Amino acid sequence: MSIQATLKGFGVTFKAMLTKPETIGYPEHKTPVHPRFRGRHRLWRYENGLEKCVGCSLCAAACPSDCIRVVAEENHPDERVSAGERFARIYEINMSRCIFCGYCEIACPFDAITLENEYELSEYDRPRDLIYTKSQLLMPHPKSVPNRTPEAANG
Amino acid sequence: MSDALPTKPTMVTISINGKEVQAKPGTILVEAAAQAGIEIPIFCYEPRLGPPIGACRMCLVEVEGMRGLQTACSTPVAPDMVVHTNNEAAATAQDGVLELLLANHPLDCPVCDKGGECPLQDRTFKFGPGETRFVEPKRHFPKPLDLSTEVAIDRERCIACFRCIRFSQDVSEDGQLGFQERGAGTEVATFSGEPYESRFSGNIIDLCPVGALTSIPYRFVSRPWDVQNAPSVCGLCPVGCNTELTMREGETKRTTGRPNPNMTVEEGWLCDKGRWGYPAAWSADRILRPLVRDANGTMVETSLEAAVDAAARLIAASSATQILVGAASTVEDGFLAQELAAVLPNAAASRLGFPDSADLEPLRALPRAELSDIDTAGAVAVVGGDVTNRHPIVELRLRKLVRNRGALAMVGPRTSPLDARATFGARTAPGQLSSGLAVLAAALEGASAPLIIWDEADLANEPAAAAELARIATAAGARQIELAVDVNGRGLRALGLPCQTAPVAAGALVAVNADPLESPGAMAWADAIDGVGAIIAVATHRSAITERADVVLPTLMHHEVEGVLVSTTGRAQRLRPGSRGPREAAAAWELLIALSHRTGTPLPFRTPAQAFAAVAAARPPFAGLSYSVVGDEGAPTTHVAQSSAPQRSTDAVGDGIALVVTTEIFGDAVSWRSDALVSRRTPAHLVLAPQQAATLGLVQDQRARVSSPFGTCILPVVVDAQAPEGAAFVAMGPPASGTSALLAGEQVPVNVMIEVAE
Repeated sequence: MSIQATLKGFGVTFKAMLTKPETIGYPEHKTPVHPRFRGRHRLWRYENGLEKCVGCSLCAAACPSDCIRVVAEENHPDERVSAGERFARIYEINMSRCIFCGYCEIACPFDAITLENEYELSEYDRPRDLIYTKSQLLMPHPKSVPNRTPEAANG
Repeated sequence: MSDALPTKPTMVTISINGKEVQAKPGTILVEAAAQAGIEIPIFCYEPRLGPPIGACRMCLVEVEGMRGLQTACSTPVAPDMVVHTNNEAAATAQDGVLELLLANHPLDCPVCDKGGECPLQDRTFKFGPGETRFVEPKRHFPKPLDLSTEVAIDRERCIACFRCIRFSQDVSEDGQLGFQERGAGTEVATFSGEPYESRFSGNIIDLCPVGALTSIPYRFVSRPWDVQNAPSVCGLCPVGCNTELTMREGETKRTTGRPNPNMTVEEGWLCDKGRWGYPAAWSADRILRPLVRDANGTMVETSLEAAVDAAARLIAASSATQILVGAASTVEDGFLAQELAAVLPNAAASRLGFPDSADLEPLRALPRAELSDIDTAGAVAVVGGDVTNRHPIVELRLRKLVRNRGALAMVGPRTSPLDARATFGARTAPGQLSSGLAVLAAALEGASAPLIIWDEADLANEPAAAAELARIATAAGARQIELAVDVNGRGLRALGLPCQTAPVAAGALVAVNADPLESPGAMAWADAIDGVGAIIAVATHRSAITERADVVLPTLMHHEVEGVLVSTTGRAQRLRPGSRGPREAAAAWELLIALSHRTGTPLPFRTPAQAFAAVAAARPPFAGLSYSVVGDEGAPTTHVAQSSAPQRSTDAVGDGIALVVTTEIFGDAVSWRSDALVSRRTPAHLVLAPQQAATLGLVQDQRARVSSPFGTCILPVVVDAQAPEGAAFVAMGPPASGTSALLAGEQVPVNVMIEVAE
């Protein structure tokens, strides 16, 4: 074992000491995520206010952790909820079971559900707080997460 | 001589896709290929609808030596035929047919109820084009329209396969559905634009290979991947049609025919009552919580544990106990009632329903037949009964018999839509069945595989006719099918449960799915019920007995329990739960076992399967049966002659005109409780022939007071020109109608006085 090897090792160490640290002061500062990061779900509406979701349950069929429950109902002509013949009367995602695989997003024929960037989903009570209802999912998440833009990622 | 005649080959050998296949001569190519494990895509082909019509062109295959492509659904096999189902010509044609079928198909699979269980989806994935070249705007229709109150039609999705129309024209023979317009504008509709009204309308939903016909009660309720399906049996009439229950989140959401129909029983067809009876589970009068009468006499909701304890205390405190089992109870319920009665001191078990009759023994001793034997019979004689309303699926079999050129003879006091199709028919006056039997002997004489179908109630009340019919059937070598009165009357009788025709004066009465106050003999029970010390009602819905009861234990309906029912032809068939039922309810078998434990005399059973195994060991009609033997398709029970069946008095009681008891298919409790059948319900009513009505001074819709020696009720009058003179036809209606007051518990023939009700 030569002194050279030891110096080489310390060289790496000292070089690292001089670079800017990668540590982020979470939770005051948040790690930016990639645009295609799969976090909390969001249900979408058309511009005219009608829900995109027609309650077809394809997301529930695709879900490998069986965490989506959809109960559909027929649209009333005077009080349309969705653009199709049917709408989701109940749309629930059990966030404690979701594995954020994004299959629901892929399965959706109407682009009604997407996975957004929010990942801070901890709650104190599983059945009360972690089963997200349709009205929750239709709203943007109150906390927003910075997006790692290509520029930010590169520079 | 016979050597010179060419013998018909027993099997022909054909080649399908290079595979040698043996098939019986006359087999359709689709079937022959299926036997060899080769799928030829089909839409319109459905052997239950009669001969193939080749409407959809989906099954095009190449047959070497034949010009062009052939429809495999209508081409029978021939010796040395060489068939290609997947070579380039056939595959291109199948692909092309699908592309054209989809040209005008809206592809709204995400909102379509058929999505996920749709033959059009499946065939397109397997045989069809990946994409369409059709860029023009698609055909549009307003959608959906209500074809009837239960069936919705979406004409955009229709591929014009003719299945629903063939059902309407050739199976239920109501002739209402047809195609209107031409080409892309073709649409299924009734000719007059009126709603489609048929007792069997729901079957067109099962038949539709696309989502054009959908069930309105099931509209958007669930998707195939959200549900579990349980093969079960309908418990609404004694026919015992095999059903499939669709369960979502613990509740039955749909009843359909089985995907593999039981060809021996119902052939996959269901009547609309069987199909849409399940919402009765959610009716307002369903008992959801156990009730116990407190010291003030008011009923108080309590837990099931506490209620069973209270019931056990009442039984233990009483000197004698009578367990009364309803006529639709399962074999297990009946058996456990017997076992509980055996271990309790001074207890007895009996059943409500139609009484035993020794006079029917000669008929029951004849060789039994299954409903499928009707198809192949040369002649069938129907004596008494009313298959249309009480055994609806038998009507479809009889219509098929006539289409197969079998002779149909109808004898009995009630009119039937089948009369027009019958080869021989005799409408007999009430109590005069014998007068019509002479016709039968001629009809059955010399026919191949003759059959008699006889009604339990009508023949039990006419012993002379029963004896004569047995003689005619024996002479003709006919087999027999009994039209039972009660859903599981046959099973409970086979257990040896005696029929309770008179009120009991027991210290405690345990009524299991039985309401003697709303059954024949109700008036006698009403007088005697105050003498009963304690009443424990095990019931699904509120009725007269639950109002009087001291303890009400909520129990489960047929689609919520495990058990065995014996059908009218004597098949033991299994019920499987397609719903968990109300949270605080328990199956009757479970409650009976619980009662046995709380009374300190535990029965050695924990499951209905154990109880049924004990039934098979202890009751000869069930010998050799078990849940696994009964399986999905059912297994026949053995008829064991009843040595102790009592002789019934069959002389008509009372003055006036003869009462003929009838039942409307949608006139029973289930139809009145199911909100899917709101538009179909019929109340109790009195049907009179015009002359008869005029004599009595009654007109249509007027209210008549009908009085028998046993009781009185007031009914609206229906004047029917088809009704025979000299009789009063009383449609019984739901239990609370009060019509059962007219009858004795013995259900002997009754004459009634009719007058205008003030």
